[in-house]
Amino acid sequence: MNRYEMIYIIDTGLEETARKELIEKVSALIEANGGEIEKVDETWGKRRLAYAIDYKTEGWYVLVNFKAPAELPRELERNLQINENVLRYLVVKLVEKRSNVKPRANKPAPLGAPDEITAPVDDEAPVQEAPAAEAAVEAAPVEEAAPADAE
Amino acid sequence: MSEERGERRPRPRGGRRPRRKVCNFCVDKIEYIDYKDVNRLRRFTNERGKILPRRMSGNCAKHQRQLSEAIKRARAIALMPYTVD
Repeated sequence: MNRYEMIYIIDTGLEETARKELIEKVSALIEANGGEIEKVDETWGKRRLAYAIDYKTEGWYVLVNFKAPAELPRELERNLQINENVLRYLVVKLVEKRSNVKPRANKPAPLGAPDEITAPVDDEAPVQEAPAAEAAVEAAPVEEAAPADAE
Repeated sequence: MSEERGERRPRPRGGRRPRRKVCNFCVDKIEYIDYKDVNRLRRFTNERGKILPRRMSGNCAKHQRQLSEAIKRARAIALMPYTVD
Protein backbone atom coordinates (compact mmCIF):
# COMPACT_ATOMS: atom_id res chain seq x y z
CA MET A 1 0.00 0.00 0.00
CA ASN A 2 1.25 3.43 -0.93
CA ARG A 3 -0.06 6.79 0.04
CA TYR A 4 -1.32 8.92 -2.79
CA GLU A 5 -2.75 12.32 -3.22
CA MET A 6 -5.03 13.14 -6.08
CA ILE A 7 -6.41 16.39 -7.36
CA TYR A 8 -8.99 16.52 -10.07
CA ILE A 9 -10.89 19.36 -11.62
CA ILE A 10 -14.57 19.00 -12.36
CA ASP A 11 -16.35 21.10 -14.93
CA THR A 12 -18.25 23.89 -13.17
CA GLY A 13 -21.04 23.48 -15.69
CA LEU A 14 -22.01 20.34 -13.83
CA GLU A 15 -24.94 20.59 -11.42
CA GLU A 16 -24.22 20.24 -7.75
CA THR A 17 -26.00 16.90 -7.43
CA ALA A 18 -24.19 15.52 -10.45
CA ARG A 19 -20.93 16.78 -9.04
CA LYS A 20 -21.55 15.07 -5.71
CA GLU A 21 -22.39 11.92 -7.59
CA LEU A 22 -19.17 12.09 -9.54
CA ILE A 23 -17.11 12.58 -6.40
CA GLU A 24 -18.91 9.61 -4.85
CA LYS A 25 -18.21 7.54 -7.91
CA VAL A 26 -14.50 8.30 -7.82
CA SER A 27 -14.34 7.49 -4.13
CA ALA A 28 -16.21 4.26 -4.70
CA LEU A 29 -13.81 3.35 -7.47
CA ILE A 30 -10.86 3.76 -5.15
CA GLU A 31 -12.43 1.61 -2.50
CA ALA A 32 -13.60 -1.01 -4.95
CA ASN A 33 -10.01 -1.54 -6.05
CA GLY A 34 -8.60 -2.09 -2.59
CA GLY A 35 -7.90 1.53 -1.76
CA GLU A 36 -8.56 3.28 1.49
CA ILE A 37 -9.75 6.87 1.46
CA GLU A 38 -8.22 9.06 4.09
CA LYS A 39 -9.73 12.38 3.20
CA VAL A 40 -11.81 14.01 0.50
CA ASP A 41 -11.26 17.74 0.54
CA GLU A 42 -13.66 19.94 -1.35
CA THR A 43 -12.73 23.13 0.43
CA TRP A 44 -10.90 24.36 -2.62
CA GLY A 45 -14.16 24.42 -4.48
CA LYS A 46 -14.53 26.66 -7.45
CA ARG A 47 -11.27 28.18 -8.53
CA ARG A 48 -10.02 30.17 -11.43
CA LEU A 49 -7.78 28.11 -13.68
CA ALA A 50 -4.36 29.50 -14.42
CA TYR A 51 -5.07 28.93 -18.09
CA ALA A 52 -8.14 27.99 -20.04
CA ILE A 53 -8.86 24.29 -20.43
CA ASP A 54 -11.34 23.59 -23.21
CA TYR A 55 -12.17 27.31 -23.17
CA LYS A 56 -13.20 27.07 -19.53
CA THR A 57 -11.69 29.50 -17.08
CA GLU A 58 -13.03 27.97 -13.89
CA GLY A 59 -13.01 24.55 -12.35
CA TRP A 60 -14.13 22.73 -9.25
CA TYR A 61 -11.09 21.35 -7.44
CA VAL A 62 -11.33 18.17 -5.42
CA LEU A 63 -8.44 16.88 -3.37
CA VAL A 64 -8.39 13.25 -2.28
CA ASN A 65 -5.88 11.55 -0.03
CA PHE A 66 -5.87 7.79 -0.13
CA LYS A 67 -3.90 4.66 0.48
CA ALA A 68 -3.87 2.15 -2.29
CA PRO A 69 -1.96 -0.69 -3.90
CA ALA A 70 0.40 0.36 -6.64
CA GLU A 71 -1.87 -0.76 -9.49
CA LEU A 72 -4.74 1.51 -8.53
CA PRO A 73 -3.55 4.88 -9.87
CA ARG A 74 -3.36 3.52 -13.38
CA GLU A 75 -6.94 2.27 -13.25
CA LEU A 76 -8.05 5.48 -11.60
CA GLU A 77 -6.41 7.64 -14.23
CA ARG A 78 -7.94 5.56 -16.98
CA ASN A 79 -11.40 6.24 -15.56
CA LEU A 80 -10.80 9.93 -15.04
CA GLN A 81 -9.52 10.21 -18.56
CA ILE A 82 -12.76 8.76 -19.88
CA ASN A 83 -14.99 11.06 -17.87
CA GLU A 84 -15.53 14.23 -19.84
CA ASN A 85 -16.62 16.22 -16.79
CA VAL A 86 -13.14 15.87 -15.36
CA LEU A 87 -10.98 18.55 -16.91
CA ARG A 88 -7.71 17.57 -15.30
CA TYR A 89 -6.39 15.16 -12.74
CA LEU A 90 -3.11 14.59 -11.01
CA VAL A 91 -2.23 11.59 -8.89
CA VAL A 92 0.91 12.00 -6.84
CA LYS A 93 2.58 9.45 -4.64
CA LEU A 94 3.37 10.86 -1.25
CA VAL A 95 6.88 10.10 -0.19
CA GLU A 96 7.37 9.52 3.47
CA LYS A 97 10.16 11.62 4.81
CA ARG A 98 13.21 9.46 5.04
CA SER A 99 16.86 10.11 5.43
CA ASN A 100 19.12 8.77 2.73
CA VAL A 101 22.20 9.84 4.60
CA LYS A 102 23.80 7.02 6.46
CA PRO A 103 25.66 7.89 9.64
CA ARG A 104 29.34 8.14 8.97
CA ALA A 105 31.18 4.94 9.83
CA ASN A 106 34.10 5.91 11.99
CA LYS A 107 34.97 2.48 13.28
CA PRO A 108 35.94 0.73 10.04
CA ALA A 109 38.47 3.43 9.19
CA PRO A 110 41.47 1.83 10.94
CA LEU A 111 40.65 -1.48 9.30
CA GLY A 112 40.22 0.11 5.92
CA ALA A 113 43.37 2.18 6.17
CA PRO A 114 45.92 -0.60 5.66
CA ASP A 115 43.96 -1.84 2.67
CA GLU A 116 44.00 1.59 1.15
CA ILE A 117 47.73 1.84 1.55
CA THR A 118 48.47 -1.51 0.00
CA ALA A 119 46.06 -1.05 -2.85
CA PRO A 120 47.71 2.02 -4.44
CA VAL A 121 51.09 0.35 -4.17
CA ASP A 122 49.81 -2.60 -6.17
CA ASP A 123 48.37 -0.24 -8.72
CA GLU A 124 51.45 1.88 -8.98
CA ALA A 125 53.80 -0.94 -9.76
CA PRO A 126 52.52 -1.62 -13.30
CA VAL A 127 52.14 2.09 -13.96
CA GLN A 128 55.76 2.67 -13.13
CA GLU A 129 56.85 -0.23 -15.23
CA ALA A 130 55.05 0.94 -18.31
CA PRO A 131 56.83 4.30 -18.73
CA ALA A 132 60.06 2.64 -17.76
CA ALA A 133 59.69 0.15 -20.56
CA GLU A 134 58.95 2.91 -23.05
CA ALA A 135 61.86 4.97 -21.86
CA ALA A 136 64.08 1.97 -22.20
CA VAL A 137 63.31 1.72 -25.87
CA GLU A 138 64.05 5.40 -26.40
CA ALA A 139 67.15 5.88 -24.34
CA ALA A 140 69.68 4.30 -22.06
CA PRO A 141 68.68 0.79 -21.04
CA VAL A 142 71.43 0.74 -18.46
CA GLU A 143 69.93 3.58 -16.47
CA GLU A 144 66.54 1.96 -16.48
CA ALA A 145 67.94 -1.28 -15.24
CA ALA A 146 69.39 0.33 -12.13
CA PRO A 147 66.12 1.54 -10.51
CA ALA A 148 64.57 -1.80 -11.37
CA ASP A 149 67.23 -3.51 -9.32
CA ALA A 150 66.81 -1.03 -6.52
CA GLU A 151 63.17 -1.90 -6.28
CA MET B 1 27.78 28.15 6.66
CA SER B 2 27.62 29.01 3.04
CA GLU B 3 27.43 32.66 4.02
CA GLU B 4 30.75 32.43 5.78
CA ARG B 5 32.36 30.72 2.88
CA GLY B 6 31.29 33.50 0.55
CA GLU B 7 32.92 36.10 2.71
CA ARG B 8 36.11 34.23 3.39
CA ARG B 9 36.83 33.56 -0.25
CA PRO B 10 39.02 36.23 -1.85
CA ARG B 11 36.95 38.47 -4.06
CA PRO B 12 37.64 38.36 -7.75
CA ARG B 13 39.29 41.49 -9.05
CA GLY B 14 37.04 44.33 -10.05
CA GLY B 15 33.36 44.68 -9.31
CA ARG B 16 31.44 44.32 -6.09
CA ARG B 17 30.31 40.81 -5.39
CA PRO B 18 26.78 40.48 -4.07
CA ARG B 19 26.25 38.64 -0.84
CA ARG B 20 25.93 34.91 -1.26
CA LYS B 21 22.27 33.96 -1.45
CA VAL B 22 20.86 31.42 0.95
CA CYS B 23 18.33 28.78 0.02
CA ASN B 24 14.87 29.90 1.13
CA PHE B 25 13.69 26.37 1.75
CA CYS B 26 16.69 25.45 3.88
CA VAL B 27 16.11 28.54 6.00
CA ASP B 28 12.44 27.62 6.46
CA LYS B 29 13.41 23.97 7.04
CA ILE B 30 11.02 22.68 4.42
CA GLU B 31 11.40 18.99 3.68
CA TYR B 32 8.76 18.64 1.02
CA ILE B 33 7.85 21.43 -1.36
CA ASP B 34 4.12 21.19 -1.88
CA TYR B 35 2.85 21.81 -5.37
CA LYS B 36 -0.40 23.13 -3.90
CA ASP B 37 1.35 25.98 -2.15
CA VAL B 38 0.97 28.31 -5.08
CA ASN B 39 1.85 31.51 -3.26
CA ARG B 40 5.21 30.18 -2.28
CA LEU B 41 5.91 28.69 -5.68
CA ARG B 42 4.99 31.87 -7.45
CA ARG B 43 7.88 33.67 -5.83
CA PHE B 44 10.22 31.45 -7.80
CA THR B 45 8.87 32.24 -11.20
CA ASN B 46 9.32 35.41 -13.17
CA GLU B 47 6.46 37.52 -14.46
CA ARG B 48 6.30 35.34 -17.55
CA GLY B 49 5.75 32.27 -15.42
CA LYS B 50 9.19 30.82 -16.03
CA ILE B 51 11.06 29.06 -13.26
CA LEU B 52 13.89 31.20 -11.96
CA PRO B 53 17.36 29.71 -12.22
CA ARG B 54 19.28 28.90 -9.08
CA ARG B 55 21.64 31.79 -9.63
CA MET B 56 18.69 34.12 -9.20
CA SER B 57 16.72 32.35 -6.50
CA GLY B 58 19.75 31.21 -4.53
CA ASN B 59 18.22 27.83 -3.80
CA CYS B 60 20.35 24.82 -3.07
CA ALA B 61 20.41 22.06 -5.67
CA LYS B 62 18.25 19.73 -3.65
CA HIS B 63 15.48 22.23 -3.16
CA GLN B 64 15.72 23.62 -6.65
CA ARG B 65 15.05 20.14 -7.98
CA GLN B 66 12.05 19.71 -5.71
CA LEU B 67 10.85 23.19 -6.55
CA SER B 68 10.93 22.68 -10.28
CA GLU B 69 9.03 19.41 -9.85
CA ALA B 70 6.44 21.16 -7.69
CA ILE B 71 5.99 24.02 -10.16
CA LYS B 72 5.56 21.58 -13.02
CA ARG B 73 2.92 19.70 -11.08
CA ALA B 74 1.14 22.92 -10.26
CA ARG B 75 1.15 23.81 -13.94
CA ALA B 76 -0.30 20.47 -14.89
CA ILE B 77 -3.44 21.05 -12.83
CA ALA B 78 -3.81 24.68 -13.81
CA LEU B 79 -2.77 26.12 -10.48
CA MET B 80 0.05 27.96 -12.19
CA PRO B 81 0.40 29.13 -15.74
CA TYR B 82 2.81 27.64 -18.23
CA THR B 83 3.24 31.04 -19.78
CA VAL B 84 2.01 34.55 -19.14
CA ASP B 85 1.92 36.95 -22.02
